[in-house]
Amino acid sequence: MGGRGLISFIAIALCICFLAPSAALATDDENCLMCHKYPGLGRYAKDKKNLKAVKRIFYVNEELFSGSYHGKLRCKSCHEGVEEIPHTDVKRVDCATNCHLKDPSTGRDFSHKAIVEDLNQSAHGSEGSGSEYKDDLPTCKDCHSNKNYQNVVKEQVGAMKFLKVCLECHESEEWAERFYEHMFYRASTRRSSKQVVALCSKCHADQEKMDRHEVDVVVGFKDTFHGKAILYGDEEVANCLNCHAPYEMGFSPHRIKSRKTEGSPVHPDKKLETCQQAGCHAGATAAFADKGKAHPSNIRVAAVDDQGETLSQAEQEFQAWVLDMIKLFYKVLIIAVVGGLGTHRLLDLYATRREHKIAHRASKMGGH
Amino acid sequence: MAAHGKKERMFERLTVSQRIQHVVLFVSTSLLIITGFMLMGERWAIDMFGSAGDSIFYWRGIIHRVAGVAVTVVCIYHIGYVFISKEGRSWILDMLPNLKDGSDAVQNVRYMLGFRKDRPAMDRFTYLEKLEYFSVWFGMFIVIVTGTMMWTEQYWPKFYLDVADAFHLGEATLAALAIIVGHIFSVHYNPHVYPMNKAFIDGKISESLMKEEHPLWLERELAKLEEENENAPEGKQEDA
Repeated sequence: MGGRGLISFIAIALCICFLAPSAALATDDENCLMCHKYPGLGRYAKDKKNLKAVKRIFYVNEELFSGSYHGKLRCKSCHEGVEEIPHTDVKRVDCATNCHLKDPSTGRDFSHKAIVEDLNQSAHGSEGSGSEYKDDLPTCKDCHSNKNYQNVVKEQVGAMKFLKVCLECHESEEWAERFYEHMFYRASTRRSSKQVVALCSKCHADQEKMDRHEVDVVVGFKDTFHGKAILYGDEEVANCLNCHAPYEMGFSPHRIKSRKTEGSPVHPDKKLETCQQAGCHAGATAAFADKGKAHPSNIRVAAVDDQGETLSQAEQEFQAWVLDMIKLFYKVLIIAVVGGLGTHRLLDLYATRREHKIAHRASKMGGH
Repeated sequence: MAAHGKKERMFERLTVSQRIQHVVLFVSTSLLIITGFMLMGERWAIDMFGSAGDSIFYWRGIIHRVAGVAVTVVCIYHIGYVFISKEGRSWILDMLPNLKDGSDAVQNVRYMLGFRKDRPAMDRFTYLEKLEYFSVWFGMFIVIVTGTMMWTEQYWPKFYLDVADAFHLGEATLAALAIIVGHIFSVHYNPHVYPMNKAFIDGKISESLMKEEHPLWLERELAKLEEENENAPEGKQEDA
């Protein structure tokens, strides 16, 4: 945005702010909503790579925000800086900052610092991945939106009874409801399997991006049994995370590891245990977990023996060739059989038509 | 040609046992095709099930397995049937392909194209019926073996399962299409029997249809009847 554009934008924004009736909001003691309550507040900016314009919206819906996970935080807890208007001193939100909330379990300031560090060291992190293309790596916000608590406490069976117990000691009903929602939400699965697959696919089905990082692009998962079951809404079968970062085995999506690193749940040493966990393939044998891929990929270059891969590139190519040959065999057979039968039937119809004509002619001649 | 309106002499085309085997086979095969191809649906099609999808998927799996067991049982029974029982042995002996089937096929094609005056006289099973029948043997062998492998997946290397899956799908696609193009035509849309050949229900075939499609078999059956009548005691002769 050029200097003139910026100035005119500020001028318009300020006009809107001062002309509008100011509604004092109890929770908004920083008075951010004075401007940010207007839906029109936003601008176009260049994206990270300066390639295309992206719409940035600075509007905050108070109702939605206060119902969200972070609804009780002050704006400046996350948006550091922001002392001046216009906000030229604003820093990018860093989830590793201390939030000025006391963690009741430790009494210290709460922070996502530990988990941000975990992510950093994981296959998705700038350290753990060792990748040059840091802009491609996912940040907290690529997976976590500041979601609303979807569950309306009062509509849930048993919730009010539960809350009554809380309110025996805790005075604030609003606090109790939020706490209940927090506990309930953490106890249930954050995303459905379908959503997990969609989320991971945003990057892992992107051929260009995966090529940059020398990672197999996932193309075949949607055609696997697991993939189809998930599309039907089955939550029992494995989604990406159940094998690549199973909580049951002490893994977490934040500490996800490349399959080539030892200790990864999909590393050849651990694969069998991963198949057997969570009551899935409890009777799986070593053969089942060993030679083969749970979901096919279309490039086979990343598999290298000395990195603990059980399948050499030649083996993978051979396997793919065998499967292609079976498909080709059936394609030819189907064309031959269906084509042959179809032609035979058409000939039959042709012959029957002729028979009828002859019979018709004969009956005519017989009639005279 | 068919003598319409007149009561016709009927012969037994399918015995009770054969009809029961056929019903089990076609009901379970239909269920298997439907529930099996439900796994091949694209996202937009699966999304149409909405929130019922989960239960539908669950029952899909159960039905596929139950029907798979039913079809396996009927196939194993059939193997015993054709080797042990008298009617089964007669069935398989008449079904065995021979040189005449080859010449029948050539002559029939020539007739249909108009290069021959008459259809070749065929026996109890035509060359197409034999082809269909042994396709079922071949196809069932493949789907039962690969299906059992996939059911006992934990004992097999993943690659073998991929191979099994490829064969299972290929064979199922071939079978489904062959049934639609081949079998449905010959027993439903065939002008001789349209709208339906009822032999799979009552097991009977009319003398006129036999004369048209299986003249050699009719000859054999008539000869057999004559022989029986000659041997039968006086006064108990069946009147035709």
